[in-house]
Amino acid sequence: MTHAVKFHPGMMLMEQYVEGTLAADVALAVATHIDLCPHCQQLCQDLHNDKGAQLAELTPSVSNNESEFADMLSFITSQAPVFKAARKTEADSVTVTFNDREFKIPRALSRMAKQHGKWLQLGGIATAKLPAGEKLHVSLLYIDKGTEIPNHTHLGMELTLVLSGRICDENGEYGAGDLLINSPDDTHTPHTRVDEDCLCLSVLSAPLKFNKGLVRLLNPLQQFFY
Amino acid sequence: MLESTALTGHHATSQATPRMPDRMTISAEPHIRSGQWEDALTYVAVNADKAAYAELFSYFAPRLKAFGMKMFGNEQQALEMVQDTMLNVWKKAGLFDASRGCASTWIFTIARNVRFDMLRKKQSRKDDVSADDLWADGDYPEQEESASDKWETMLMSEKLAPHFDALPPAQRLVMQKVYIEEKSHQEVSDELDIPLGTVKSRIRLALDRLREALDDTRS
Repeated sequence: MTHAVKFHPGMMLMEQYVEGTLAADVALAVATHIDLCPHCQQLCQDLHNDKGAQLAELTPSVSNNESEFADMLSFITSQAPVFKAARKTEADSVTVTFNDREFKIPRALSRMAKQHGKWLQLGGIATAKLPAGEKLHVSLLYIDKGTEIPNHTHLGMELTLVLSGRICDENGEYGAGDLLINSPDDTHTPHTRVDEDCLCLSVLSAPLKFNKGLVRLLNPLQQFFY
Repeated sequence: MLESTALTGHHATSQATPRMPDRMTISAEPHIRSGQWEDALTYVAVNADKAAYAELFSYFAPRLKAFGMKMFGNEQQALEMVQDTMLNVWKKAGLFDASRGCASTWIFTIARNVRFDMLRKKQSRKDDVSADDLWADGDYPEQEESASDKWETMLMSEKLAPHFDALPPAQRLVMQKVYIEEKSHQEVSDELDIPLGTVKSRIRLALDRLREALDDTRS
């Protein structure tokens, strides 16, 4: 990979991801980021080792029921072991096609991306919902070359993971694997370059609110992005 | 208690006093031989060795229960998690690969996945995100270790001292031994009775944390 990932989830999100305590929709974005980011792959392995060691160092739970573990042990060893437990075979890589472009989808997102909803298009921008969303709204977001998403404020939290191509905003430039995290009240105007389109994974906890001029007319359409 | 204030330089000389002796006398518990659980998993995988499994079980089941009690806060679910996890350990021991990490790491990931899927199942959505989507089963290539070298020199900087104090205790202890007492990774592993891989992981995690803390103070 030529592009070095610059924007990472940060230690707190990574820890919650490894513990399995992060909300599933956010964890999906973090897992996909890790697929694209060698640095976080190592970090993730280190956190797992640390958690494993912590488990081994725990003070064991004292049981007031003597036979509890003995019964469990004899139940388990009465089950047939799986001798030839083959490793999961490498799944065929999943691609998503839009605007005559074919995008390769990272492993973590494959199963969800295969089930994406219908593309809805508005100018150079298109979205397709993923079935993952629970409290949060998860979708693929395609932005054509030379397109600007009007200046908007986030009513909730917005996670945007670049899957392919490049997007820029007031704070910098983001390429494949970069994770943008916007908190409520953050305002930005993301845009693509004239020669490169962009596919992102978007996780939103609340609709966007458009701020300037005529595009405020988009506010009734905010469900489109959500 | 750790005297990690040594990083500020005030106690740098007194810190050099060796602390080894009292470390040597602490093992009242039976000593766990390094590699013991990894070997046991191999016996289970190859022979369905019940004796080896029983040893693993008697060590990990009560600890998994303690972990489950922390995560679920109730005994019934904690025990369900222990049983599912240990059943997977029995059935899937053949999938364990010691070159990717130690036994406790592998067992932790199984427990984490079991717990995650238990919580998701309650909501009964079959298209939903599953543990298999989220955790890649350690299939990533190893990275080279260059990052730690670069940070070694930075560590003595006074700026780092408060962040060093704020590290999680297990990471701080390892950092203390490596960077202040200047012990080798292997010595630290022997002394604390934790796997070498865990020592390396804790060092990298601590370095990442310190780097993040510095980045935050800079911006």
